[in-house]
Amino acid sequence: MDGWPGVVIMIALGVGFAAVMIGLSVLLGPKNPTPEKLAPYECGMPAVGDARERHSVKFYLVAMIFLLFDIEIAFLYPWAVALRDLGWPGFVQVVTFFLILAVGYVYVWRKGVLDWGPVARATRAAARREAA
Amino acid sequence: MFNSSFDAVVPMLCVVLAALASMGAEAFRAKDEEMPIGGLGIVGLAGAGISSGLLWNRNAASFGVLVADNFALFVTLTLVIVGILTIMFSSQVLRRDQLPKGEYYALLLFSLVGMIMMAMANDLLIVFIALETLSLSVYVLTGIRRDDPKATEAAFKYFLLGAFSSAFFLYGIAFTYGLTGTTRLDQVGAYLAAQSMSDNPLILVALGLLLVGFAFKISAVPFHMWTPDAYEGAPAIVSGFMSTGVKAAAFAAFARVFLSSFEPFSADWAPIVWILAALTMILGTVVGVAQSNLKRMLAYSSIAHGGYLLVGLVAANQVGKAAILFYLLAYAVTNLAAFGVIALLSSREKETDELRDFAGLWHTHPALAALMTVCLLSLGGLPPTVGFIGKWYIFSAAVSAGYYGLAVIGVLTSVISVFFYLRVVVMMYMADRDASAPVPSQVTGLGMVALAASIVAIIYLGILPTPVLDLAAESIATIF
Amino acid sequence: MDSIDLRLLVQLGVIGLTFFMLINASALLVLAERKFMGFMQQRYGPYLVGPHGVLQPLADILKLLFKEELRPKGADKWLFTLAPILSVTAAFAAFATVPWGAETTLFGLLDEPIKLGVADVNVGVLVVFAITSMGVYGIVLAGWSSNSKYSLMGGLRASAQMISYELSYATALAAVIMLAGSLSLREVVDAQQGTWLGFLSRWYLFVQPVGFIIYIIAGVAETNRAPFDFPEAEQELVAGYNTEYSSVRFALFPQAEYINMVTMSGVATSLYLGGWHGLLPFYTPLDPLIEANGLGWLVFLAKVGGILFTYIWVRWTVPRYRYDQLMQFGWKWLFPASVINLIVTAALMLYVLNA
Repeated sequence: MDGWPGVVIMIALGVGFAAVMIGLSVLLGPKNPTPEKLAPYECGMPAVGDARERHSVKFYLVAMIFLLFDIEIAFLYPWAVALRDLGWPGFVQVVTFFLILAVGYVYVWRKGVLDWGPVARATRAAARREAA
Repeated sequence: MFNSSFDAVVPMLCVVLAALASMGAEAFRAKDEEMPIGGLGIVGLAGAGISSGLLWNRNAASFGVLVADNFALFVTLTLVIVGILTIMFSSQVLRRDQLPKGEYYALLLFSLVGMIMMAMANDLLIVFIALETLSLSVYVLTGIRRDDPKATEAAFKYFLLGAFSSAFFLYGIAFTYGLTGTTRLDQVGAYLAAQSMSDNPLILVALGLLLVGFAFKISAVPFHMWTPDAYEGAPAIVSGFMSTGVKAAAFAAFARVFLSSFEPFSADWAPIVWILAALTMILGTVVGVAQSNLKRMLAYSSIAHGGYLLVGLVAANQVGKAAILFYLLAYAVTNLAAFGVIALLSSREKETDELRDFAGLWHTHPALAALMTVCLLSLGGLPPTVGFIGKWYIFSAAVSAGYYGLAVIGVLTSVISVFFYLRVVVMMYMADRDASAPVPSQVTGLGMVALAASIVAIIYLGILPTPVLDLAAESIATIF
Repeated sequence: MDSIDLRLLVQLGVIGLTFFMLINASALLVLAERKFMGFMQQRYGPYLVGPHGVLQPLADILKLLFKEELRPKGADKWLFTLAPILSVTAAFAAFATVPWGAETTLFGLLDEPIKLGVADVNVGVLVVFAITSMGVYGIVLAGWSSNSKYSLMGGLRASAQMISYELSYATALAAVIMLAGSLSLREVVDAQQGTWLGFLSRWYLFVQPVGFIIYIIAGVAETNRAPFDFPEAEQELVAGYNTEYSSVRFALFPQAEYINMVTMSGVATSLYLGGWHGLLPFYTPLDPLIEANGLGWLVFLAKVGGILFTYIWVRWTVPRYRYDQLMQFGWKWLFPASVINLIVTAALMLYVLNA
C-alpha cells in the first residue's frame, strides 16, 4: 500500500491484538491472589524497601550524550541522501562538523563517561596516580 | 569551496577553535597539571579581534545569514575586550577557588561565540541559535561552583526563566515567519515596509513576543526578576561577564531586529519600549538603593543601565544609534572592572560582596579602593569618566529626538544612583575596618593588569572620547 | 470502480497476511530456537506435542492464556498493562515499512501492479528507526512500573543499551542510504538489482562489509538477544524487566522480541542483501527466472530465514558479555567504527562518481 495508512493499520492491528490477548487471559485465567503472590519478587524473601530508588548517574550521562549524538545522526540522514548533489563541498562541511563533535567525544571519553563498572574506574584511577 | 562566503565567519571561527582546543586540553590534562588554557583563549580572542579589524568596512556576508558589517564588528570588538578582560580576571579566581579550568574557559569561549554570532546574525533563526549557544554556556557558568547551594539555585532560576524567555522568542520568530514567509531580517524588513499595522494586527503579536524575548535577556523591567538572584549566586567574575557580554550581544541583536526589520513599525513599538525604558531605569535605581549586597546592587545598577540603553533605542536617531554602541563599550569595561574587583578580593570560602566587607578597604588595599572608586564614579556617570560621556550622548540623543520625558527620567535616576555608588566609596574611605573580619586576599598578576587597563580605558575615553565615538558613528552609518 | 475496490481489498489482504505471518513467525521462531538449541546441545528439544513437537508453540500460548494475571502490589496499574502492549505494537509497526516483495499484478489479477509490503513510505528507513526506538519505552515502562528492583535494573539496562547501540545502528544505515540516495526501503532494494562485474550479485554487502557487521552486532544488542541479553540476564536479574509479569502480559514481551528480530533481519536483507533480488551472492541462472515469475518474495523469505538462523546460532555459541564490556564496546569501538565507515564510504563514493 502506498503511504501512511498501512502504518496506521499496522499500529491498530498491533494494539488490537495485544488488547484482545490480554483480555482473553483475564477472562480465562483463574483469579485467586494471595499476599505472597502479589509481593514483588526478591528471591523469596520479603521485599526490602521501595524499588523506585535513585540509580547510578551513569544512566543519565548516557542519556545525555545519546541525545547529542543522536541528533547529529538525524542531521546525517538528509545529508546522506543528498550527498551526490552536494559533492565534495558537502563532504568537507560534514567532516568539519564531525571533527567538532569528535572533540566533544574525546572529551567525554577522557572524562570517563564511557567507562562502566568498577574495573574501568580502578584502571583509570591507577593511571591517574601513575601520572601524578 | 573556500570562497569569500566564509569571511564573516572567521572571527567566530577563531574563538571556536580556541574553545575546542581548551576542551581538548582539559581532556588530556592530568589532575593538578597546570596548563595555560586561559592564554589559549586570549590568543583565540585576539585572532577574532584582528580578523574583525581586517573585515572592517568590507561588509562581508556568509551564506546570507551572517553579516560582518561595521555594526557587528564594533560589537564583536567590544565582546573581544570583554572576553580578554574576563579571562585575565579569571586566572587568579580559578586557581584560588579550584574551579574546573578547562570547562570554565571552554564555556566562556563558547558563550562568546554565541554572542559574536548574535551580533552578526541576519536571520531570526541564527539569532535564536546564537541566543541558545550563549545562554546554555552562561547557565552552566553561573552554577560552576557546584558545591555552593546559592550558585546552584541561581543557575537553576536563570535556566528556567531563560528557557521560558527563549520559548517566547521562538514563538515570536514563528509568528514573524508566518506573516512574512521568511526569517531573513532584510527580507522581513522589505516585506514589512509594504505593510501597515491595520492590515495585519498579528504583526503586533510577533513584535511583542520578540520584544519579550529580548527584554528577558537584557533584563528590562518587568522581565528582570532573574537578574539579582543570578548575579548574586554566580561567582563575581561570571556575574561581570554576564552583565556585560550577554547584554552587549542581546542589545546588538535587539537593535538590529528592531531598527532594521521592524523599523517600518517604529511608531508602534517605540511607545512600548519607552515604557520599558522608563520602568527599567526607575526600578533599577530605586531598588538598587535598598541593597546591602554589592553584587545585588550592581545587578540592579546593570538593570538601570539597560534602561539607559533602551532610551538610545527609542531615540533611534543617528546620534542615538551611535550612542548605544559607545555606551555598550563604556558600560562593558566599567562594569566588568567593578565585578573584577569583587572577584579578586573574594576568598575561596566567601565572596567579598557585602557592603560592610568594603569598610576600610582604603587602609588594606589602597590601590584597589582607588580603582573601585573610578569604576563606581563611571557607573554613576560622573565626569571625567567614560560613563559620563556615554550618558551625555544617550540623553542628548533623546532630547534631539523629542523624548524629553525619558531624558528627564534618565537624568533623575542617574542622580539617585550616584547615591548608592557613593555609599560604597564612603564605606571604603571613611568607615573603620571591622577588626574581626578577615582581611581580603591580595591581588597580583594578570588581574591587576586587567584592572589597570580598564581604569586607563575608563579615564582615557572619558577625556578623549571622539575617536571611538566617530568609530561608533561610522559603524552605525553603514546600515540602518 | 470494481478494480479500485479489488485493489484496495488485495492491499488490505497483503497487510493482513503480513500481520498474520509476523504472529506466526514469532511462534515458529520459538520452536526453531528450541529445536536448534536441542540440536546444538545434542538433545531433541520439544518433541511431545504434535509430530516432532511442531505444535509446541500453540500449547505454550494456550497454557499462558489460562494462567493467572498477577500484578504485584505497588505496581502502577495502567503502565503495567500498557508496557507489553506498547512493546508488541512497536514491534508490529516497525515492520510496516519493510517491503517483502517486488511489485506484482498477482498473475494478472490486477490491472496495475501493487507493492508487496504493508506501507511504502518514502522515508521508510527513518520510520523503522523511529518505531524501533519507541520499543524501548515498553521495556523501560515494564521495568519501572513493576515496583521490583530486578525489573527496574533490567529496564534501566535495556534503555541504556538500546540507545547506545542505536547510534551505531543508525550510522551504519546512513552509509547504505547514501549509496542508494534514497530513504525508501523499496528504492534501496531496487538499487541492488543486477550484478557487479557480471557475476557478483549487486548487494550492498559487498561495498559495505563493515557496515553490515556493525549493523548485525548492533541489531543483536537492539533486540536484547544473547550475547547482549542484559535486560533479562537471569544469573544477575532473575528475569530482568519482565520478572513480575505472568500469563499473556508476559508472553507479549518475547513475542515482541521475536518480531523485532524479524524486522531487523528484514531490514538487513533489504539494505545489504538485495531484498528480493539475487538469490545467492553470485549470479545464478535462476535469478532471471525468479524475477520473471514474481517469486522474489520467496528469495526475501529465504534470506530473512538465513539471518534469523544466524541470530539463533550466535545465541547458543557465544557466552554473555559483561554489562560494562557491552557499554564500552558500543561507545568506544562500534560507534567510532561506524562513523569512520560512513566517512570513508562518502569519500569513496564521491571519488568514484567524479572519476
